Amino acid sequence: MLLRLALANLWRRRARTALTTAGVAVAAAMLLDMVMLGSGMRESFRGFLEQQDYQLRMTPRGTMPFDSEATISGANELLARVSADEDVAGVAPVLGGKFFVATGGDSIVAGFAVGIAPRIQADYVIAEGREIEGPSETVWNGALLDATGKNLGDTVRVSAGYDPQLRRFTGTRDLVIVGRGRFVMLSGGELAGAVPIATLQAMGGPEREDRISVALVRLRDGANVDSVAARLERNEPRMSAISTEAALRFVDERLGYFRQLAIILASVSLAVGFLLVTTLVTVSVNERIGEIAVLRAIGVARWRIVAQVMVEGVALSFVGAVFGLGLGLITAKWLNGILASFPGLPAAFDFFLFEPSAAYKALGLLVLCGILAGVWPAWRASSLPIAKTLREEAVS
Amino acid sequence: MTRRQLKLLLALLTALAFGSGGAQAQAPRRVESVERRSITIDERLAARANLTIGDTVFIAASAGSAGDTVVISGITKRGADPSEIARSEFRVRLHLDHLQKLTGATDRVGRFAVATRDEPAAIDSAAAGINSLAFGFRAYRAADVAVETSATFRVVNRFHRAIGVITIVASAIFLLCITLLKVDERRRDVGALRLIGVSRQTIVRAVVLEASLISLIGSAMGAALGYVAGWIVNWHYQGVYSTPLKFAIVTPSIVLFATALSLGLGVVAGLLAAQRLVRQAPLDLVGR
Repeated sequence: MLLRLALANLWRRRARTALTTAGVAVAAAMLLDMVMLGSGMRESFRGFLEQQDYQLRMTPRGTMPFDSEATISGANELLARVSADEDVAGVAPVLGGKFFVATGGDSIVAGFAVGIAPRIQADYVIAEGREIEGPSETVWNGALLDATGKNLGDTVRVSAGYDPQLRRFTGTRDLVIVGRGRFVMLSGGELAGAVPIATLQAMGGPEREDRISVALVRLRDGANVDSVAARLERNEPRMSAISTEAALRFVDERLGYFRQLAIILASVSLAVGFLLVTTLVTVSVNERIGEIAVLRAIGVARWRIVAQVMVEGVALSFVGAVFGLGLGLITAKWLNGILASFPGLPAAFDFFLFEPSAAYKALGLLVLCGILAGVWPAWRASSLPIAKTLREEAVS
Repeated sequence: MTRRQLKLLLALLTALAFGSGGAQAQAPRRVESVERRSITIDERLAARANLTIGDTVFIAASAGSAGDTVVISGITKRGADPSEIARSEFRVRLHLDHLQKLTGATDRVGRFAVATRDEPAAIDSAAAGINSLAFGFRAYRAADVAVETSATFRVVNRFHRAIGVITIVASAIFLLCITLLKVDERRRDVGALRLIGVSRQTIVRAVVLEASLISLIGSAMGAALGYVAGWIVNWHYQGVYSTPLKFAIVTPSIVLFATALSLGLGVVAGLLAAQRLVRQAPLDLVGR
């Protein structure tokens, strides 16, 4: 009965109800987007890190993986010491560097070379072809294949450096492209290829000999990540052991602006939704004070009046929020497309990650706003002086 | 912070700042020199490590590698460079030969800056000339480098515009809704005016005028609010990122655009609400 009366009142003023619902829907869409933005970046990055299935990354002290060109010497001994730790189940070394591919004439394509241990690497997934098996094999990403016009099965001449004075390349090898890989942590459009780490070290000459950029460390089940990280850092003073949580803190710091923007815009969206519903319900009550006074005069309980007014507010918020969730998903896709070109982030990085909990949170907040929006007009409607209101309404 | 901790910190920070290649692992040691070289550090590092001009510190390319004891000769302020936003590294500046020696990158540089003659065509011809001779490196126009390094800001700018579009849609709906409510509240007044002979056109004009005035007053208040919000945003983010860059600027053109948009929306909302009202018979409006 309560719901029917509330809906009938809303239906009576269809145009304004439709407009308010549309306003709440836009506010709900913005709110959902901002809730998705607030948690999406973190969870998206966590997904990338956990996809690699290594819990720790060991880098030259004070650096993040590939944030600088720093490498660490004495890699073989270091890897042996880390592997000997009782909580370590496996270690995958990675060496980063530049490489150059001559594509005919004076044209040279430069790319990012990743030296990996093929069987245990976690930097890419094979999209076509197969994994590296020999020392003269390589896996390239689609961008590098497109830039050089090469195909799987082609033999390519790749160099690790150049000597400007002698005008010749150094560390040159003929490699066979055996696979096309999707590099997990590289930004869109970045040209990259993977080769066995020993091959890349040899191509780099004495400067790269026995060096690595990062060591990915997989821990045994049940091992405490933080205590192992602290122990490894203690044992290896030249290295930092970065856990997934520490890497996420770093991302938070870099992309903190978006999180703060999300909080501000989510608050504004909530405020707009709240104001819209409050205004409509207040005006609706003002228009019906005569009716409400009559209802009170014939014995309708005060709480029923309060409930009816509040149900109107909740109904507006709920319907608006449901439309808003659909709209929010569309706008999130649009906004994600804009931010996809953010420099330095993995190509598949999602700023707006849909999680059911985010949708429930947005919906719940708006319904709560709807309840709060109805409080003042409901209280006003229920506390009208019955006789005075009836007299004034009859005179007017 | 102890002196040893400070040494290690600076070693670490130097490696961060220059992204140098690693060096052989050695215990930190002090290299004595008769005449100490000088460096400058940025004000964030000075504040963090409690350093000042004249202090003596030990720097190295990476933790545990050989380094040098140097004197801080200056403290630099961070430049207004968009590419440095959100990067939290500390900056240490050394003489080129000093850094080459510390990092083992003898006779190597990361990049050259080339000054050309003061003619627009000279930049392109110099770049083309260098690129035809270059092997393993490439010359870029400073303007192109600036565009490339501000890619982050361009993406953020596009994102802000998209948010602006959503906000405008929400504002338009809000404004139309409020105008409709305001006009609906005066149904009886309008009905009475119509009954005493006031024309539909006059009522429409009056409603549109009222909506326009509200839009203009709202725009003025919005501009003032935007100015204050911009000031708060700049104060907050300049502190967070330690940069003199301005993040939000309220320019006359932005105020004009916002006012024109608001006025346009107000006129449309007023027209729609008024048309809806004057279409009804006067007796219906007064409730008879």
